[in-house]
Amino acid sequence: MKNLLRYIITRIFLTIPMLFFLLTLVFIILRIMPGDPVSAMLGAHAPESVIEQKKEELGLNKPIGAQYIDYLNQLIHFDLGDSMIFKQKVIVPIKEKLPATVELTVFGMLFTLVFGVFLGAYAASKRRTGRDFSIRLYANVVYCIPVYWMGLMLQLVFGVWLGWLPISGRVSPRILVSTFENTGFYTIDTLLSGDLHAFIDVMIHLILPSVTLGIVLSGIFVRLTRANMLDVLRSEYILAARARGIPERRVVYKHALKNAFIPILTMMGLQFALLLAGAILTEMTFSWPGMGRLLMERIYLRDYPTIQGVIVVFALFVSLVSLLVDIIYAIIDPRVKY
Amino acid sequence: MKRFFTLLLLLFVLIGFTYATGTKEEAVQTLVYGTTEKVTDLDPASAYDFHTWEIFQNIYQGLLSYPPGETNIVPGLAESYSANAASDQFTFKLRKGLKFTDGTPFKAQAVKWSIDRVMALGGDPSWLVTDFVKSVDVLDDYTVRFNLKGPIAYFPALAATVPYFPVNPNVYPKDKIVRDPSELKGGALVGLGPYKVVSFKRDEEVVLEANPDYYGAQPKIPRIVIRYFADATTMRLALEKGEIDLAYKTLNPSDIADLSKNPNFNTYKLSGPYIRYICFETSESVFKDKRLRQAIGALINRPEIIEKVFLNQNEPLYSMVPKGMIYHTDDFKTTLGDGNVALANKLLKEAGYSESNPLKFDLWYTPSHYGDTEVNMAEVMKAQFEKSPLVKVNIKSAEWATYKEQWKAKQMPAYLLGWYPDYIDPDNYTAAFAGTTGSKGMGINFSDPEWDALFKKEQTNTDPKVREEVFKKIQKMWTDECPTVPIFQGNLYVFTKKNVKGVKIGPTLIFNYNSLYFEK
Repeated sequence: MKNLLRYIITRIFLTIPMLFFLLTLVFIILRIMPGDPVSAMLGAHAPESVIEQKKEELGLNKPIGAQYIDYLNQLIHFDLGDSMIFKQKVIVPIKEKLPATVELTVFGMLFTLVFGVFLGAYAASKRRTGRDFSIRLYANVVYCIPVYWMGLMLQLVFGVWLGWLPISGRVSPRILVSTFENTGFYTIDTLLSGDLHAFIDVMIHLILPSVTLGIVLSGIFVRLTRANMLDVLRSEYILAARARGIPERRVVYKHALKNAFIPILTMMGLQFALLLAGAILTEMTFSWPGMGRLLMERIYLRDYPTIQGVIVVFALFVSLVSLLVDIIYAIIDPRVKY
Repeated sequence: MKRFFTLLLLLFVLIGFTYATGTKEEAVQTLVYGTTEKVTDLDPASAYDFHTWEIFQNIYQGLLSYPPGETNIVPGLAESYSANAASDQFTFKLRKGLKFTDGTPFKAQAVKWSIDRVMALGGDPSWLVTDFVKSVDVLDDYTVRFNLKGPIAYFPALAATVPYFPVNPNVYPKDKIVRDPSELKGGALVGLGPYKVVSFKRDEEVVLEANPDYYGAQPKIPRIVIRYFADATTMRLALEKGEIDLAYKTLNPSDIADLSKNPNFNTYKLSGPYIRYICFETSESVFKDKRLRQAIGALINRPEIIEKVFLNQNEPLYSMVPKGMIYHTDDFKTTLGDGNVALANKLLKEAGYSESNPLKFDLWYTPSHYGDTEVNMAEVMKAQFEKSPLVKVNIKSAEWATYKEQWKAKQMPAYLLGWYPDYIDPDNYTAAFAGTTGSKGMGINFSDPEWDALFKKEQTNTDPKVREEVFKKIQKMWTDECPTVPIFQGNLYVFTKKNVKGVKIGPTLIFNYNSLYFEK
């Protein structure tokens, strides 16, 4: 336990140079991109004097090195700075949008895990059958499909042709968010407010975006689970279990899957960054008011501090999940030592 | 495995059934209005976009205002106004007994405080005040005087714009622009208009309810919910599925064509003041030579652009002053015409170009500001220009922030732009492009003392005959100098469910929700 704690602390400290490197990269890329926030912000009427005044006000007339030091100084004080476009703290829109993205990624990851792991285990148990082949084909196909295309197709089939599911937003237009909003996590908020109808509505709105996100990532989990399961199913303890007459379903889904799950868990941490990247595209496709849409909008506006802020939060998020996975890894497998 | 999928299927069916049958009866009659627009700063001192202004026009009020769908200015918070002989002082008599939605009485001091605040904060639309107003004097609790920097013929139109709307000094901070209601003292927007904001969730919804203290007629629909969509297709589907009652700004041309034919919806086609045009950089680029600008202007075939790109949903425009506005003329139609290849060839040959030495230039457009049709418009225009063997066009694009930077840096010889007016007057469609200062800001860099003198004359003269004469002359001169060439005037489309009536949006683009009602 002591070693685990030391490992956690080391990992937290290792996050700092990672963030520093990432931020430096983002900072430089933003500054060398054409277009600047002042041009994007001020109307066509703005005279040069006003533009210059605005640049001075925002610190954009300083050398890039000085701007960078100012920014790092803010970060050290846990301040993501002020938006250059909207006269507000960067943290304000991030706090507003983060719950939507977290909700989407959590449900996306849940779908990926349940669907991907289950199909992978099933394919392994039916090795070299038509079903195994179909599942492997599915895994390869979905892994190659761009997430936005998958989103559009699901929207078309389930939203437009069949009309079963809503295709955009977090809640139906006729359900007032103000009647239940509290934490920003609508699934939790609707339950807390006791509004079952709103809860079902929120869950239904989550289906298409999270399935889109989940399906694309499920491919890799299918393949990984299948490969691990095949290894595990060849183990002696599985042979022993079968010899004892334990039903095959129990052997596969209880005894084998549990051991095959450890590498999958590691992969889950690694795939989380991919999931967030997918969430950006999914949010755009499904009009999902989360961090991805915020990022895209602010890139158009060249709102440097908000773009940097969103990336910091994304990076922290990925680091946190990665750390959590490592901790769970140590907990579920007693052989793992840190 | 089978059991798992059966359970999954059952769960879906159950959820679907509950969802389909579980629609709750609305306690308050509500109209859901869908849009792809966005709310910017919830502050009249800073907001400078039509949708945020539209919300302000429903929750605040100007001293003067426009009746729904009309262009004549009528009293608003002021019951009357008068100008001195020189037209450089306007005095407004305020209505008595008005109060903000938090109960604060509305007095002249709030008008002065609000105008002083707009001038001090210097937000994006502040030039609508600072360019014209020197100071504001409170003569008594219900009388306020605007001292102007000079005679301004169209000051009543300016006074009806949002930066002139009085805000509550007890609520707005004096020295800070407000973006969200949470930044206000008390955390809520308090206004004087027919509606009040009861909740605000950025990019998701704004909920408005009728203001019981409003001095005018009470709105017929007690609650309006504005829902924000990220794209037009999703909004169209929401309308078709009955999730919203009204869709406005901005649907794709193909959605408009489909919905117009759908008998389940009312279609309102509005002739808006929105115009599109091509700009030329006139100081350094190849288009320094006005004959080339004329030639390109002559090659534009407006009806073809409207038919091919906009499915006949817009109107060709032959002047920078849009149709329906005072002093409009169709001069481009009679001078350069549409797709006039013969005239273009003649002008190009005069300028020294030939088939072996064609005029080559980059035509720029931005994909991130005027919708998905912009690339098609640029392609159709390239084909039109190249109908002359003396022209070769290279299409280039840049997203909006870069586009703006490039026009200021004179990097785009010819580029497509669009214009929504700041105030409803021909001055806003002309001086902003061909006056020395305005033109520089737009990257056109056209400058001519004769033109500046004409703009000065129309801006300071209140005699409609003099203004008419000046604007007719300017529009004529425009076809010769062609700093820009008008292309089309945008129509706006509102689609509503069959039972929604009372949509009135005039050339001012002001959408008063209190004229809406449900037909029983």
